[in-house]
Amino acid sequence: MQLTKHWAAQLDDYVIDLAWAPDGTSLAAASAAGPVALYGSPDGVKRCAFPGHEGGSNSIAWQPGTALLASGGQDGAVKLWDTAAGQHVATAPLGRPWVEHLAWRPAGAAPILAAAAGRKLVFINPDATVRHAFQDAPKTISALAWHPLGSRAAVAYFGGVCLWGADDALAQSEFPYGNGIHALAWSPDGRWLVSGNQDPSVHIWMVESGVELQMSGYEGKVRHLSFDFGSRWLATSGGRDVCVWDCSGAGPEGREPVMLAHEAPVCGVAFQRTHGLLASASQDGALMLWSAERRQPLRATVRMPAAATCLAWSPDDSHLAIGSEKAMVYVLRCDP
Amino acid sequence: MDTIPIPVTVLTGFLGAGKTTLLNRILSEQHGRKLAVIENEFGEVGVDNQLVIQGDEELFEMNNGCICCSVRGDLIRILGRLLKRKDRLDGILIETTGLANPAPVAQTFFTDDEMRRNFRLDAIVTVVDAKHVTTHLDADDESARQVAFADVILLNKTDLVAPSDLDALEERIRGMNAVASIHRTRDCGVALGRVLDIGGFNLDRATEIDPRFLEPEYPFEWAGAYQLPSGSHDLVIGHADDDHHSDGHHHHHHHHGGENELDVLVMPVPSLGEPEIAAARDTAAAVFAEPERRVENGGRITPGAPLNRLLLDGGDGRFRLEVAESGHHIVFEGCGEEPLHIQVGDDTVRPSWQADYHAAHEHSTSVSSVGIQQAGELDGKRLNDWISALLRTQGRDIYRMKGVLSVKGSTKRLVFQGIHMLFDAKFDRDWGPGPRINTLVFIGKNLNRSALTEAFKACLAA
Repeated sequence: MQLTKHWAAQLDDYVIDLAWAPDGTSLAAASAAGPVALYGSPDGVKRCAFPGHEGGSNSIAWQPGTALLASGGQDGAVKLWDTAAGQHVATAPLGRPWVEHLAWRPAGAAPILAAAAGRKLVFINPDATVRHAFQDAPKTISALAWHPLGSRAAVAYFGGVCLWGADDALAQSEFPYGNGIHALAWSPDGRWLVSGNQDPSVHIWMVESGVELQMSGYEGKVRHLSFDFGSRWLATSGGRDVCVWDCSGAGPEGREPVMLAHEAPVCGVAFQRTHGLLASASQDGALMLWSAERRQPLRATVRMPAAATCLAWSPDDSHLAIGSEKAMVYVLRCDP
Repeated sequence: MDTIPIPVTVLTGFLGAGKTTLLNRILSEQHGRKLAVIENEFGEVGVDNQLVIQGDEELFEMNNGCICCSVRGDLIRILGRLLKRKDRLDGILIETTGLANPAPVAQTFFTDDEMRRNFRLDAIVTVVDAKHVTTHLDADDESARQVAFADVILLNKTDLVAPSDLDALEERIRGMNAVASIHRTRDCGVALGRVLDIGGFNLDRATEIDPRFLEPEYPFEWAGAYQLPSGSHDLVIGHADDDHHSDGHHHHHHHHGGENELDVLVMPVPSLGEPEIAAARDTAAAVFAEPERRVENGGRITPGAPLNRLLLDGGDGRFRLEVAESGHHIVFEGCGEEPLHIQVGDDTVRPSWQADYHAAHEHSTSVSSVGIQQAGELDGKRLNDWISALLRTQGRDIYRMKGVLSVKGSTKRLVFQGIHMLFDAKFDRDWGPGPRINTLVFIGKNLNRSALTEAFKACLAA
């Protein structure tokens, strides 16, 4: 396993989000100051530069199978960009609160962009018209995740998680949780819905059976979650260790997790999309690659001059994109 | 990589007190620094090119709605977003709404390690409208809380208030919060060094503050100054003279000591200046500790030592006060409950100045401060057990707690601060060559000074 530097690019500010185009030909990068840029995958050449959002961008998301990129920002708007034509398509203004979370429905009949701004959840069509505006959540929405089949969206806020139907926009279930939630993830097989919590713990709901599991003992709040493509391994972090749970069978409760050690608080974890490698990054600039079955990193640690802010595997898992606090985007090639 | 925490200044104060004036003053004078403002109403900041974000006072109740465990969700989010910059900010200003309870704002900085690592609550600055605050302090808990939580208090709009009222107000506020630095201002005109980057709480000034707060309680409860001519006058205790008792002072709290005894000391003072009063007070405290002279009802007393123990009949008494030289005299009274009058001829003389030495009992808000200063080394475990138990049982009433402590086995000072049930303690720097003196301060409601002091002393290492 070999990680080599492929290219690097510099933004104007903190890299707040990264997203590979669905066809893998380009990488979109959003800066905390606002601009959104598009870089060609093979060479890192800047293909487009969009102004993004006044006051700063927060997140970006590609519509599956298309060249349409959505962005959400401090200005309370969702903007849609045609990356093929290199132009702004439409804007959906949602109000005063920031648009913090965006997620396209991964599959299903109609394409839907779920957007969260403050306590507001909105389903948006690809032309930026509002498909459905939901009643306000009890508290500000802190995480958003689509079921892998696109049947429903899970929405987290301080106090619980609500599942909303994709087509009928009706509440399907509400799971109370008595604390803050920082991250949500579905297992790719849709069996497990997982939250990373302030308290600090990881909570798991088996949505169909109603079974709930709770894993605590973290050093700090759990902000990063990632499932492997086989739905067996769940990587979590809330402190200096990446803690990987075995979710096979009845689930991880009562099992000893695999602990992968960093020397500083972990700031990102990401499993490959269709392969088994796990990338993790920590505040000291370290980046490591792991396989869930082993406790030792697969290769000598990569050191970056600043902490990573986001990790993103390319669609074919051949490249890993890393955003940094000091405005750098690094793309590493991963060779077997 | 060690992060230098960003200092955060919280501005509180009732609507119209002058928070926005202060905010704009800071921003216009601090143009060289990169500051972010979290304001509660959009468009209040009148200074261009500033990073301004609007908060929405979202509360996260960590524990079933208990305010002692509530934090501000919107602040967590906004502060988190403010960290997402290539270049760090030099400071953050948070303006709260007039009615806001400062506790959740302050507690937000104790939420988790990330908050502690990245931010430092530099000071809570409370702007007080000197003209209207008395009404608020009498009417509601919020303004009392804002005073109690403050590290810095601006007594603003001083131009609208008479100097004597201002003195009384400062006295009252001092009684509630003995450690805050108080500045009198017009239009919030204060040197910014007194509001920004003051380096958190600083107990070094504890030695300069009102001695009533740190020293043991005075042996007297009340003192009043009277302008007396030379001659022989009547000092009347109780309701012996019903026609005039409304001119006296009355308290309706507990009675203690002998029902039919009252300790009284009359001290001549050259003037009613602050140093002269303080000197007389300290002398009186010493005289109260000396043996007393018992005086039968109808007996004669003179200014100066020794202490007079007046023997009363059914709580009443009339004594001859022999004044050799005319001038100001301060009467110190052991029990503040007893009505006391001085009659010169047929007139009852009104006190030209008076003070109550039980600030905690005096005000309806009952917010007060208790300070403890004690030499010696503390047993770390005992200290921890005591603080944990104390916060569990009384955390609701303890608004703020600050301390610089000497713990056995460490050469460094343990610096400690708490807000309700949350607290943070760390060793900062070595004690100097001088004696290691523990200083601990509580600000809150229903504080029992002697119980706190005793419990603290029990934490001293054997």
